[in-house]
Amino acid sequence: MEEKLLGIKNNAISLILETKSPKELEEIRIQFLGRNGEVTQLMKDLPKLSKEERPKIGIVANNVKDIIEETIKTREKSLKETKSLHVSSLDVTEPGIKPPLGHLHLVTQAIREITTIFAQIGFTRVRYPEIEWDWYAFTSLNFPENHPARDDWETFFIKQQSDQKKGTVLLTPHTSSGQVREMEKGKFPIKMLNIAKTYRRQSDVSHTPMFHQFEGLVVGENMAISDLKGTLNYFVKSYFGENRVSRIRPYHFQFTEPSFEVDITCGVCLGKGCRLCKEGWLELGGAGMVHPNVLKAGKVDTKKYTGFAFGWGVERVLMMKEGIKIDDLRILYGNDLDFLKQF
Amino acid sequence: MNIKILDSWLREYLKTSATPKKIGVNLSLTSVSVEHIEKYKDDFVYDIEITTNRPDLMSVVGIAQEAATVLPQSGIDATFIKPDLQLPDIHPLKSPELHITFDQKLINRICAVIMEVTIKQSPQYMKDRLDASGIRSLNNVIDITNYVMREIGHPTHVFDYDRLLNHTLNIRESKKGEKMRTLDGKEYALSGGDIIADDGKGEIIDLISIMGTANSVVTNSTKRILFFIDNVDQHHIRKTSMELGIRTEAAILNEKGINPEYAQDALARGIELFEKFADGKIISGIIDLYPHPPKETTITLSEEKINDVVGITIPLSKSKQILTSLGFTVEQQEDKLIVTVPKNKQGDDMQIPEDLIEEIARVYGYINIPDTLPTFSSQAYFHIEKNDFYWEDRVKDALKYCGFTEVYTYPMVSETLYEGPVENAVTIQNPLSDDMVYMRSTLIPSLLKVVKENQDHEIIQIFELANIYEKNGKDLPKQLLKLGGVIHKPHASFLEAKGVIERLLEDLEIKKVDFKQLTDRSGALLSIDKEKLGTIEILDGTTVTFELDFGILLKHATLKKLYHPVSKYPPQVEDLAIIASSSVQTGDLIEEITKQSELIREVTLLDKYQEARTFHIIYQSYDKNLTDKEIGEIREKILKVLKDKFGARLKS
Repeated sequence: MEEKLLGIKNNAISLILETKSPKELEEIRIQFLGRNGEVTQLMKDLPKLSKEERPKIGIVANNVKDIIEETIKTREKSLKETKSLHVSSLDVTEPGIKPPLGHLHLVTQAIREITTIFAQIGFTRVRYPEIEWDWYAFTSLNFPENHPARDDWETFFIKQQSDQKKGTVLLTPHTSSGQVREMEKGKFPIKMLNIAKTYRRQSDVSHTPMFHQFEGLVVGENMAISDLKGTLNYFVKSYFGENRVSRIRPYHFQFTEPSFEVDITCGVCLGKGCRLCKEGWLELGGAGMVHPNVLKAGKVDTKKYTGFAFGWGVERVLMMKEGIKIDDLRILYGNDLDFLKQF
Repeated sequence: MNIKILDSWLREYLKTSATPKKIGVNLSLTSVSVEHIEKYKDDFVYDIEITTNRPDLMSVVGIAQEAATVLPQSGIDATFIKPDLQLPDIHPLKSPELHITFDQKLINRICAVIMEVTIKQSPQYMKDRLDASGIRSLNNVIDITNYVMREIGHPTHVFDYDRLLNHTLNIRESKKGEKMRTLDGKEYALSGGDIIADDGKGEIIDLISIMGTANSVVTNSTKRILFFIDNVDQHHIRKTSMELGIRTEAAILNEKGINPEYAQDALARGIELFEKFADGKIISGIIDLYPHPPKETTITLSEEKINDVVGITIPLSKSKQILTSLGFTVEQQEDKLIVTVPKNKQGDDMQIPEDLIEEIARVYGYINIPDTLPTFSSQAYFHIEKNDFYWEDRVKDALKYCGFTEVYTYPMVSETLYEGPVENAVTIQNPLSDDMVYMRSTLIPSLLKVVKENQDHEIIQIFELANIYEKNGKDLPKQLLKLGGVIHKPHASFLEAKGVIERLLEDLEIKKVDFKQLTDRSGALLSIDKEKLGTIEILDGTTVTFELDFGILLKHATLKKLYHPVSKYPPQVEDLAIIASSSVQTGDLIEEITKQSELIREVTLLDKYQEARTFHIIYQSYDKNLTDKEIGEIREKILKVLKDKFGARLKS
């Protein structure tokens, strides 16, 4: 009987706490404490117990009754308070009280996404100097002495005496300057992702003097054009969407042989051709098989290892992503807070 | 560079049933990029981008041979109609007088001839072809030079022979300050080292390979021409053309390094056209000055190498067929190809097996190569705690959730924005503008500029994580990551900025950061273990800035978690209101109170009002419940030491 009483108590309490109105509460009261209520009924059975049991169970029963009454009273009070609160001041359409929230720059967001995608296929992110020796930016990458990229109107140079071996000091115009630095670590195979600020001497709607590139470099045994194609297609489908397709075309870069230009299908017409794209395809950036002279400059055993590389603009892939149609790239670094707070 | 050519012109050297669109798509995927095909009268014009390594394709004939090679790979019939270019075998008894001298370092080859001509209009088809190529038609003689350039791919020039009064061309580098007037009437003073021809007496009569001069070019009354094809050092051309801003088609081609083999083809084709459209008659011998003609080279290519680079098996016979079709001479020896590079294909980009593999693979079709993923991953182990990028992300997120917006500003700044004497600055030698000359030594001025440009915002909280730069003797300048931030709002306070940094440091589990008042009381110097971490500075009532050395943060940030057992005994709490002189720093008071007993778990400043500072003290033991007596003893100790050290007392 004691167990039965405690069961009734627990059941009553949980029912009371779930009530939503005084009316419901009254129904519960009747169910347990009313003339034919569960507790009242059990108390009527008390005389049937043995003399020894009677006082003990009596105390328990009274306790249960008191607790139920107490719980009902408390619930009654709280229902009243809730009601008054609801009625007088709650307007659920008012703005919530938000903790402060800032915004990360679009370029940071893009870099994070790119890094995460390449991490899935084993690329490790690295960083190398922004102000760099000519050796890493040009000479070791198979640029001849008089190459136009070294012209004053293409690349920014730093006023500093040239080093006999490493040449002039410059603001690196591409993340490819990380290739030989990575090879020099001497740890093979390599799957590097170098993301950094890069600089070129131009400023117009589609160029800013500072921009960002991400460079993939893979050096391993028997790396082939097919491996390059698979890798960049993995990125294209992950970043732009599985309905987009990439292709490679012949191109020319000093530090790769063969060299490619990479295109992806236009996000609007998906390759059919429309007013926004060039015959259905958009240019993404350059890629190629690492030139043997570059591997040699990085002291890589060219009999054992070959490689491929690609270097694309962070801003460029960002612009080509659906939904972000910025007609003047310079707005990215104009730091208008009304712009930055959109993202 | 881009060249434009008419479909009908191309088909003079290409026999195929392919439509212009088909030709365009096939070329783009395997050779040169056909960017647009547009209607031109009842014809089509191709706009083609040709990479700098392929000056041999910057011509109608070059493109025709490419198309004839690549179209059959897609099952489309195509044949290359090789131009039949023969130099006339003429040896006149008496040639008009002409003396040519040159420096062999500047000139690879000169082909020339003197002809009698009649100046008139060009035929309509020639005018159309030039017009579609973006070249203005002038008269038949000038038009022919441009026509030959576009068709054969080598720039050509004509002088009015009778205006060369000394009958002398002395080709040399210019001296600084020498003056000349180009054919469009503009006067230039040369900076020196430009390739020019003078008349033997010092007067400049041609800006070689770039543009003719007013004193020697063809006019409407010209009777005799010197048809002149010069193949010169490409680097000189680029320097002069860019420096003077003269970007003629000839200059743009010549700076790419045109193969000198084409000079003779251009000469032969030009003579043929002068004879046909200008009543041309040769009156001199053929001049061909070619001091160092290239030798044929061979490259050996193994089947294994081809397949390793491409990633699939291409039969050696297929590779042989592709190379032959492109104009190489190929001999097969077992599993190898011995490839002879013809003179007119030689160049920097035709040296090693990979150069030939590119030719094979592109014509075979990149589209026919499958996608594979290299399965290995990098060998290094990954330790998240040692990964700079992990911490960068974490710090940026922390600031974002403190209400800060991230900005990216240019690291190149003006003299006004540069902090410190500019003699110390890492300086750009060739800045784009005065606003971008010095590599910044602190992020703060750039951030304040952003604040200034966003004055319509009442509350601005921004940050940037970027490098600053310092000279480093003969080594590369130091490039140090800094975390800079600004709080700009009405009544911006030091403690707000400090709070943000404290929150950040807590997140990075960095303890023991020392905040020391700057001597002018304008902020604080932050350090960890006596190493400078950064500063917080109050600029005015509305602006507080901070800049921290990110490298130092990285050094101390940790993910190590230490477990302390939770006490079973409840803490006792009391608030002590202490009266102390305002010169006594709160940090010192807290430190002193905390030191008094190991039972003091935490001391915080609860309130500050006039001279009274109320400290909230939590006492707790791991061994027992603390009695009032025990706490009373500690309190007495605290009050005594505060009185002795700071002259402070309990507020009554």
